[in-house]
Amino acid sequence: MIVFKNVHKWFGKLHVLNDINLHVRSGEVVVICGPSGSGKSTLIRCINRLEKFQQGELYVDGQALHDHSINLTKLRADIGFVFQQFHLYPHMTALQNVTLAPVNVRKIDKKEAVALGREKLARVGLADKAEAYPAQLSGGQQQRVAIARGLAMNPKIMLFDEPTSALDPEMIGEVLDVMVQLAGEGMTMCVVTHEMGFARQVAHRVIFMDAGQLVEKGAPDEFFDHPKTDRAAQFISKILTH
Amino acid sequence: MLINFNFRVIWEYMPLFLEGLRNTFLISIVSLILALMVGILACAARLSRWKLLRAVSIVYIESIRSTPLLVQIYFFYFGLPTLGLRVPELETGIIALMLNSGAYIAEIVRAGITSVPNGQIEAGISSGLSYTQRMRFIVLPQALGVTVPPLLGQAIVLVKDSALLSLISVLELTRCGQELTSERFMPAEGFLTVAVLYLCIYYCLKPLAGWSQKKLIFREEY
Repeated sequence: MIVFKNVHKWFGKLHVLNDINLHVRSGEVVVICGPSGSGKSTLIRCINRLEKFQQGELYVDGQALHDHSINLTKLRADIGFVFQQFHLYPHMTALQNVTLAPVNVRKIDKKEAVALGREKLARVGLADKAEAYPAQLSGGQQQRVAIARGLAMNPKIMLFDEPTSALDPEMIGEVLDVMVQLAGEGMTMCVVTHEMGFARQVAHRVIFMDAGQLVEKGAPDEFFDHPKTDRAAQFISKILTH
Repeated sequence: MLINFNFRVIWEYMPLFLEGLRNTFLISIVSLILALMVGILACAARLSRWKLLRAVSIVYIESIRSTPLLVQIYFFYFGLPTLGLRVPELETGIIALMLNSGAYIAEIVRAGITSVPNGQIEAGISSGLSYTQRMRFIVLPQALGVTVPPLLGQAIVLVKDSALLSLISVLELTRCGQELTSERFMPAEGFLTVAVLYLCIYYCLKPLAGWSQKKLIFREEY
């Protein structure tokens, strides 16, 4: 589904992605962790071309992203992206947030889109908040609307960039529950997160990044309990202490 | 002191004042509409991805904003004819006001557009919306709300700035006060009347500003 082959990216002189090789299969849930500034976000932002990279090959759903002639609209329409800060459109209701892209990108009928939007909102447990504006919702509810917005495009892949990092502790669970359910339904997911409970419960693989390099990959239990590299061990001991 | 204040002469000159008021109003409206067009174009150029357009727009905006309006008016009125371009006073004045306000409006509109957080634009990109769609559905509806109140502020400034056209003998409101001064030597009567009439224009525009603030600004908290 997603194949990175020797991908390199620089921000000026900073080598943010250093020789990334990764293969994510269809239906696989991959958790990416690592210290801040290690390139995790950049890595998943490359998958829907929010970021360009300078060297290497990247295939997403059969399309070659290093080839500049690909249809980006089509690519992005098939990939849901959930941001740390939600980024809902504040002047639209939850339902309008969810139906904007289906109507304008997928070109589906308005009535159909409303039905679809309500269905997706119900799926994240917010059927009763369809008419609410983002400012009227809690952080956890906003993030669930953002997930519904992604799902409304019936994506093949869902990308999550620290989806719970901006949330109050008591709201993290409700967002993770939605993601666990999604993983259970066989969605292909790449999740940047430090939520180890989530990683252990649903991830097929955990990937550890540091300084732009993909340092370690492995099954979650193995990775968290017996990390192979010192850098990973150090990182895990740090996130475990609180 | 008040005993010397001559109300009769104000009444006598009322037709002149009303003509001045009408002219000030028309000059302001026409200049404002043109300035809006210039401003939006300049803003689009300022945000364009082509370097040359951006450079032209920056030179325009900065040179206008860093020089006095009076100098600009004099340049167009006295300067252009010596370069072989002869334009009547009224048109010269409108062009000067248009270019002057246009530069400020360009910055107001730009502030509105750039006030929309980048993350929302990325969210739009991520769901496959095109540039035009992102502008139409995400950026402009929010930019409009924050842009309209300062635009009305600029409109009020424009009305007051049009007084400078009296210096190139355009018969607008301020010029009427000057006429009364030169013909009858009654500056107090003349300019007080002028001031009151400007106040009337201001109070016609002000409720609009308040209304738009209430209607259009999207508030985060409810």
